[in-house]
Amino acid sequence: MLKFNNVSAGYGGAEILRNVSLEVKEGEVVTIVGANGAGKTTSLRSLCGLIPLTSGSIEFQGQQINGLQPHEIVDRGITLVPEGRQLFPFITVRDNLLMGAYKKTARKDAEKRLEEVLELFPRVRERLGQYASQLSGGEQQMVAIGRGLMSQPKLLMFDEPSLGLSPLLVSQVFDIIRSIVQSGTTVLIVEQNIGHTLRLADRGYVLENGEVVVDGTGEQLLDDPHVKRAYLGL
Amino acid sequence: MEIFLQLLINGLMLGGTFAIISIGLTLIFGIVRVVNFAHGEFLMIAMYGVYLMNLQFGLHPYVAMLPMFFLMFALGAVMQRYIIQPLLSASDEIQIFATVGVSTALMNAGLMVFGADVYSVDMSSAVVGTGMTSIGSLTINNGQLMTFIVSILLIGALDWFLKYTFLGRAIRATAQHRDAALLMGVDVKKIYIIAFGLGAGCLGLAGGLMAPQYPVFPTVGTFFVLTAFIIVVLGGLGSLHGAFLGALIIGVVDSLAGYYIAPDLKEVVYFSIFIAILIFRPTGLFGAGRGSE
Amino acid sequence: MNITQPQNYVSLLLLLLMLVFPVVAGSPFVYHIFILVFSYAALASAWNVVGGFAGQLSLGHAVYYGVGSYTATLLMINFGISPWIGMVAGALLASVISVFVSWPCFRLRGPFFALASIAVLEVVRLLVINQHGLTGGSAGLAVPLQQGVEWMVFRERWPYLVISFGLLSAALFVSWKIKNSRLGYYLIAVREREDAALAVGVNAVRVKLAAVIISAFLTSTVGSFHAMYFTFIEPGAVFSLELSIQIAMFALIGGLGTISGPVIGTVLVLPLAELARGWLGDFADGFHGFVYGVVLVIVVLTIPRGLVGQFGARVGALINRLPGYKEPETVQPSTSTLTHVQSETLGQPILVAEHLHKYFGGVHATNDVSLTLKEGEIIGVIGPNGAGKTTVFNQLSGFLKPTSGSVRIRTSYGEWVTPKSPAEFAKAGIGRTFQIVQPFADLSVRENIMIGAFMNTDDHVEARAIAAEVAQLTDLTDQLDKVARDLTVGGMKRLEMARALATRPRILLLDEVLAGLNPSDITKAIEIIRRIRDTGVSILMIEHIMQATMSLSDHVAVINSGSLLIEGEPEKVVKDPQVIEAYLGKEYSHA
Repeated sequence: MLKFNNVSAGYGGAEILRNVSLEVKEGEVVTIVGANGAGKTTSLRSLCGLIPLTSGSIEFQGQQINGLQPHEIVDRGITLVPEGRQLFPFITVRDNLLMGAYKKTARKDAEKRLEEVLELFPRVRERLGQYASQLSGGEQQMVAIGRGLMSQPKLLMFDEPSLGLSPLLVSQVFDIIRSIVQSGTTVLIVEQNIGHTLRLADRGYVLENGEVVVDGTGEQLLDDPHVKRAYLGL
Repeated sequence: MEIFLQLLINGLMLGGTFAIISIGLTLIFGIVRVVNFAHGEFLMIAMYGVYLMNLQFGLHPYVAMLPMFFLMFALGAVMQRYIIQPLLSASDEIQIFATVGVSTALMNAGLMVFGADVYSVDMSSAVVGTGMTSIGSLTINNGQLMTFIVSILLIGALDWFLKYTFLGRAIRATAQHRDAALLMGVDVKKIYIIAFGLGAGCLGLAGGLMAPQYPVFPTVGTFFVLTAFIIVVLGGLGSLHGAFLGALIIGVVDSLAGYYIAPDLKEVVYFSIFIAILIFRPTGLFGAGRGSE
Repeated sequence: MNITQPQNYVSLLLLLLMLVFPVVAGSPFVYHIFILVFSYAALASAWNVVGGFAGQLSLGHAVYYGVGSYTATLLMINFGISPWIGMVAGALLASVISVFVSWPCFRLRGPFFALASIAVLEVVRLLVINQHGLTGGSAGLAVPLQQGVEWMVFRERWPYLVISFGLLSAALFVSWKIKNSRLGYYLIAVREREDAALAVGVNAVRVKLAAVIISAFLTSTVGSFHAMYFTFIEPGAVFSLELSIQIAMFALIGGLGTISGPVIGTVLVLPLAELARGWLGDFADGFHGFVYGVVLVIVVLTIPRGLVGQFGARVGALINRLPGYKEPETVQPSTSTLTHVQSETLGQPILVAEHLHKYFGGVHATNDVSLTLKEGEIIGVIGPNGAGKTTVFNQLSGFLKPTSGSVRIRTSYGEWVTPKSPAEFAKAGIGRTFQIVQPFADLSVRENIMIGAFMNTDDHVEARAIAAEVAQLTDLTDQLDKVARDLTVGGMKRLEMARALATRPRILLLDEVLAGLNPSDITKAIEIIRRIRDTGVSILMIEHIMQATMSLSDHVAVINSGSLLIEGEPEKVVKDPQVIEAYLGKEYSHA
């Protein structure tokens, strides 16, 4: 479904991703793990069209998508739940969710979709009229995920969904991601909380200094010496 | 007491005029995050436009303001597309210089084309927009009353548009978090062009509404735009309701200070308020929440 | 100034040529144009000190111009005082006013500073009009026509030419002096990245005030001169927004923050508009303003850095081919800064933080963190993203005030102090880097490091020597002349360290200086950090690269969810179950 072919990308002359190739198949859960600054977020941002590639190409459903504008990529069915939530602070939760359905094809079903999302997050329903900035961190993460679902994505990506959340909330967030996966959406996760992530993922890639150093199934990676070294220096 | 009441009414009515000028400015700043120093010259163009339409086709200014809305929308959109958009990631100074340059060029273009003379729309045969209404011993200028009402309607309409349409929501979302809006599939450049167009379009309406009371001359914009800046900062940059309240406050201050202090010092009073607000409460009096940073 | 350098003698020759040209041409119109060019160029140069060097976009500079005009004229009319004295008095008054006007406005950014400056201008203009008794109100004042040197009024044109040339020379000399002094570097530093400037001990407010005062003083003198030259002043013309915009525009077209830019901008644009006025007669009402506006927009869209900013380097290189060019002398690296000192207090506490708490709104970002750094020690701080490590660093360097708790530093004299501002922290001996690198991007690597070195010296040569020494230590020697923005990520991270080191810190706070580096850069950086420690600097470092933390740190502190989880020897810390859980999640530790 999604393919990175020897992708290099970076900011202002500095190459942060180097020759990265990876693949996500339809219905799969794939994760990218690695230390801070290894290029995880950069890989997602280049996929969303927020930063240009310096070489290589990205394909989605057999068509090249690098070079497209960010909104065109969203129209193809790729949605990112960004790091740190990035909600719209001074508009209501309801409007935040509806913004998720901004793309033309999602608009007409927006109200129906909103109901489905609220089924998934009953707590958010009580908050619909409040500004997003008035919510707790956990609630904001729910809204961010809900907003991502509103676009009826074919591929949903998460950038550090556990960031800044308490352990209990982290477990809840992963339960939700699990249920999204079960409903048939293809998922790509970038996480530093690798314990949770690798248990959930079908496959994973380990990034170090912008390069893929190891890949394999979730369980293989959990026992991999590279993973341990990247996180604990063992 | 009667004098005070009359002054209060005058002030509020003047506030209506100030409001219709300030709405566009605050809209543009709130969304595109650019302070448009050429706002006053846009107003000048709208006023000349209305004057010409009246002269050539005999259109009543209240009719002429509708085509003028669209013409000004186009002008604003062009300005955003070809001057502001290339500079969106440039430094503040550069953006300021760009709009200051447009302001200087347009004002002097006005001087070249129309000369320094003062023109007024001939309202002698017009039925609406002229004359006074008396309530007891108090009087209200009909034209100003119309302006006041339209500015309230305009704010209501913009409010509705921004709250209940997909496009309006996208505009607010872009204003608050540009990157997140991109991720939702919003074409941010297009949003900016629409926002700038709307802001300029409001001045098309202002040009028509003001024509019965105000003559037009090349520097008419400077005269109003500084007041509009004060109002917009007072109300919290980017806030429509704040701009309206700010306009009423400045209108009343203008009217009262002109009578009780001195006519030529009334501007000193509100410029001083402006400086104090900038320094002590840069988010404006009402800018605690939405729209402001 | 070294007169044999081509850039210097060419500049001086061109200036002299401009002075000679009208004398040779002889026509009154040419004289007039050149007098205007000189005086407006002086205004633009004076404005450039604030608008260019300090980056504060003032659109109200006519206030100072008007103060100069009115002071000189009023003193002359009312007390018969010579305008030469009036010029100085006006300049002093303008300087005083500038302090009162600017101080409160410094916290305003970009468009808000510009708006405030316009508002101040309007208020002053209206007040001047209002005080008819003193100022003649909006009708203005005529200067008494007493001829003679002491009254600055002449029958011929050439004395005006000489005076305006003198004013321009003064403005240029001052600009050149500033540009090549510590003040000049500090102004750029504050303009580009105020945080980075604070971190190397720059008092941002004082630096900006200095610029404003100098600029107001120079602007006012031209105002006094213009009053005598035009022999008539009125509020609408001298306290005018149009004038303020014009001089700012000349500076921008030539190039903000350059010495020659304001002059070049004026020379190119002003005569053009004046000539157009001459040719087109009445139609030209508005034409010159229109030209100004259009030129400004075109410049902003095509060469936003101005003519000098865009082409200056190339032209400069051409000029340097002329005879007399000498490479700048290479300065021997100093050896004083970082030589190992046998300290008697090694191993004793040097930085102590006690019970730090920090709340942001309702978020408890730092929860009871206490740390003690001993002299000569390296402590590594680790913890997941968002755990609040940088927040702690910001409290240790004065960038954030703890909600409660204290930070104390032992100075080199052995006293314990609690500094108040980032600059005071820097002066007390704390050097820091930023997680997101903060280079002064348009300056060379050498100049970046010199800004750090200026904390302890205002001598150029000494600062260069320190820069050379620090560059050796951080492997930047062969990049010294490179512009900072062209460095690699690794280079930028090393530059962060170098700039901090140049302040001769006794404590260094490193915030993820290894993140994003490739393996060979990491090895290099680890080596450098070790070298720094060996010069006697105590180090606290936030680091995710465990390989580095493990090999460098004497102690490791783990921060999770804002509180200190554990502190101890590296090997012990990484085996701690709590730490494993914080990084890997609960299930992993059970697995």
